[in-house]
Amino acid sequence: MKLTRRNFLAWAGLGAVGAVACEGFGIRRGELNIQSPVRLPEDLVRGNDNWYASLCRTCPSCEGIVVRVMEGRAKKIQGNPLYPINQGKTHARCEAGLQALYHPDRIPSPMRRSGPRGSGQFLPVSWQPTGMDSLRTALQARGSSSVMITEPLRGHLGLLADRFASAIGGERLGFETLDNNTYRAAIKNVFQQDSLPDFDLENSRFILSFGADFLSTWVSPTRFSRGYGEFRQGADRDRGMFYQIDSRFSMTAANSDKWLPVRPGWEGHVALSLAQVIVSEGLQAPGVDVDALVGDEAGIQSLNRFRPEVVAPSAGLTSEMTGGDPVDFLRNLARSFARTRPSVAIGGGSAGAQSNGLFSLEAIYALNYLVGSVGVKGGVKFNPDSPWDGVPASSKVGNLEDWTRITEQIRSGQTKMLMLHGADPIHGLPESLRLRDAITQSEDLFVVSFSPFLDDTSAMADLILPDRVYLEDWGDDISEPGPGYQIIGMQQPVVNPLPDLDPLSFPDVLLTMAQELGRESQLPWANYKSMLREGSDALFALNRGSIEAASADEFWNQLLRRGGWWDEGSKGPAIVQAPSGLLGNIASKASDPDFGGIGFGSDSYYLVPFAHNSLLDGFNGHLPWLQSAPDPLSTVTWQTWVELNDNTADRLGVKEGDIVRIESSKDSIRAVVYPTPAAPPDVIGVPLGQGRRHGSDYATDRPGTESSNVMDILETTLVKDTGSLAWAGTRVRVSKTGESVSISKLEGNARAVEIGLTPAEEIIKTISPENS
Amino acid sequence: MMPSGKMLPLMVAGGIVTVILGFVVVVLLISWFSNPPFGLGNAPAQPVAFPHSVHVADNNIQCEFCHRNVTKGAAATVPAVEQCLFCHQEIDGATTSAQTEIEKVRTAFETDQPINWERVHRLPDHVRFIHEAHIRYFTDETIPVKYGINGEEITQSPDVAQTCTICHGDVGTKTVVQPKAGQSLKMGTCLDCHRNNSVSTDCTICHK
Repeated sequence: MKLTRRNFLAWAGLGAVGAVACEGFGIRRGELNIQSPVRLPEDLVRGNDNWYASLCRTCPSCEGIVVRVMEGRAKKIQGNPLYPINQGKTHARCEAGLQALYHPDRIPSPMRRSGPRGSGQFLPVSWQPTGMDSLRTALQARGSSSVMITEPLRGHLGLLADRFASAIGGERLGFETLDNNTYRAAIKNVFQQDSLPDFDLENSRFILSFGADFLSTWVSPTRFSRGYGEFRQGADRDRGMFYQIDSRFSMTAANSDKWLPVRPGWEGHVALSLAQVIVSEGLQAPGVDVDALVGDEAGIQSLNRFRPEVVAPSAGLTSEMTGGDPVDFLRNLARSFARTRPSVAIGGGSAGAQSNGLFSLEAIYALNYLVGSVGVKGGVKFNPDSPWDGVPASSKVGNLEDWTRITEQIRSGQTKMLMLHGADPIHGLPESLRLRDAITQSEDLFVVSFSPFLDDTSAMADLILPDRVYLEDWGDDISEPGPGYQIIGMQQPVVNPLPDLDPLSFPDVLLTMAQELGRESQLPWANYKSMLREGSDALFALNRGSIEAASADEFWNQLLRRGGWWDEGSKGPAIVQAPSGLLGNIASKASDPDFGGIGFGSDSYYLVPFAHNSLLDGFNGHLPWLQSAPDPLSTVTWQTWVELNDNTADRLGVKEGDIVRIESSKDSIRAVVYPTPAAPPDVIGVPLGQGRRHGSDYATDRPGTESSNVMDILETTLVKDTGSLAWAGTRVRVSKTGESVSISKLEGNARAVEIGLTPAEEIIKTISPENS
Repeated sequence: MMPSGKMLPLMVAGGIVTVILGFVVVVLLISWFSNPPFGLGNAPAQPVAFPHSVHVADNNIQCEFCHRNVTKGAAATVPAVEQCLFCHQEIDGATTSAQTEIEKVRTAFETDQPINWERVHRLPDHVRFIHEAHIRYFTDETIPVKYGINGEEITQSPDVAQTCTICHGDVGTKTVVQPKAGQSLKMGTCLDCHRNNSVSTDCTICHK
């Protein structure tokens, strides 16, 4: 195109129009802002929250919790500040309870087995008619030869389950992998108490603990941890002294002033050597009748067999451990324990899990009589009976003899129906018991599981009727151990199940079945809530305790609002008379620990299994928060590790992350090596909790990791006189596999260094008799 | 001269039609020019001179760290001031000018004042654009071949940051953000890209 004057003017005009249009019709600057808010939108909360009091069910101690609920969804779990057991504190386990509620692997509706038993193949069915009809038919045909296996149950659910089992002519047994039967028996024999005692750590000045990992997993760790905090740092008091005598360096041992790594199974002998020193040097508390406690001449002679000179070498104590002569150490320890009153001796865990576990625990608890710490401030405190007559206040569980019998009954066809709730005995019993095989091969057995999650035993079920999880259901608890006075905890449904889930409350299913089978006379309640309400009315009628109410309705509301009822005026017995000649009798029946299996060859080690800090025995294995919660000492997550002494690891030629085979006479497992200077050279520690074959992906073996179940290799040695499994009574060999994985733990290494005389040792020396 | 009686209704009707058409034309023009045509968009002045180059190219911060919603929903979103303080509570800036700009952010947080940025990329109100769907498509490794905004063939699935550059250009290396040079983000661009990738061009896919 020829550039003429006319064309130039035309293009110039078009350009001007275009420029005007662009600017004129465009959006003006400043009219379209995009704003950075000051606060993160994720942090802005809309709506109102409600906090409901209830109970945690992620461990047997059943702590009081409050749950934050927003718009029908539970968001946060914290400790109930009113509840006397934990007083607002919680363990990490409690907080992970939310994950059970929203877990992707929850069983959404009833299921029926569609493949071979144990294949894990199920098809969904409806509650009505299929699920309930199948259950009713099975109960009618097989109820009289049924066994119901549950978690340890206390309170009204325990009453209901027992009555139901009785009504249909069956049997109920509580299951706990690391049962407390030996501990209970020791408490009964030493203190004549049926319920577990409380320990007044808060007011104690000296704690002597044998094997009890009471700050992590043993009995009621949150309560004990709170008391321990006061014991160490409480206002207006001196810092308490704490010795841990334990074959493994546990989290509790790590908190102690002195950890004494005694040879496994010799804790009772050490306790009696301390008793011998106290008696022979007359260090007992004022008013303690030593003659009555030790008994006649035979008792004195029995006790004298436990002089420190005799016990120290047998118990494997060396001068490296004690920072001097072990005999002097034991003597000084006995003197300090006796003089730093109030002092308290605690025993449990692996100390009671040997063939001589009952003897050991009796010897340990008998020490409390010598130092005058029975029923007093800063010592052992006893709990009263339940305020409810006939309602079980103690969660008694079966022992290994019971499970051997049940397994044989299943194998022989005598047991025709198995009901499971909150228990996974296949995972939690030694593999050599062959419970898995017995259930798989028993053709005439009908297995019903009420578990909301699949596990090793539920995978064997013919019918799964999923229960509600505890945040969706009613419940109660008679705390065990209590705080020294009567206490009832209440659990209420804080949310409804999500719309895509269709669980039914286990106790309501039992009550429905009882009605349909014509057993209303034994189980007269319309539903579980009405049963609990009846319990509430009974408490109201007592007219005492923490709730003042004008009517039963008001009392019920207050009971739910506070998360329980307690009466600080209804205490346990303050005075407990020691059985005559107690120490002498215990000394006379002392025995060495029995380690069956592979023997004491130079290539074998003591195996000390221990409850995982968050997974416990595997009960919480399906909760990813708890899988990923680092172990307090090793920081390992998601795996089964084996704690090996550095020198032992060097001798075996393994390093961190190597996979080793741990072999007993029964079987072998694989575990990832975690070398630590804190493991005794002849002891290996392996946590429980992993190695499930069925269930949630979070709980079962995962690619690229090693997660084995240490229960698979345990010898079936029994604790004498209790029939419980001596789960710390196994010796094993360790061998390289040549394989290695990355161990999932926090970065960095905390290595032990020589720091010379510890402050604790300094104090012991200072307060020994010659200096005191 | 007054119009005759016969002309008056015609003139009134013509006036009304002219006004309506004029309104329609103005609306269309505003709509057209509100998104700069032919890739002629420039960089507006911003209240804080935020250099993407320092954050992305130099310090490897992912796009979605600040634009938190970009892989989750429709809008990419700009970060909250609180998020800037995640780092700039400690990081003061290497130059005096950087320190001045960072101080503006800190002041905004302390005085509880939001920062009003000038929008660089925008689409008309009647258009619905979902960032998440587009990032999901381009990062999908199961789709062997995809085509970019100008028809370029993409055989290796890009990551999120690379996907952003398809429409926005290499923002991560720029100290000042402006539309991708020579790139119009108009309806034709959208349609071409949808056709190249065999994605529906139904009106309701994009128009509200």
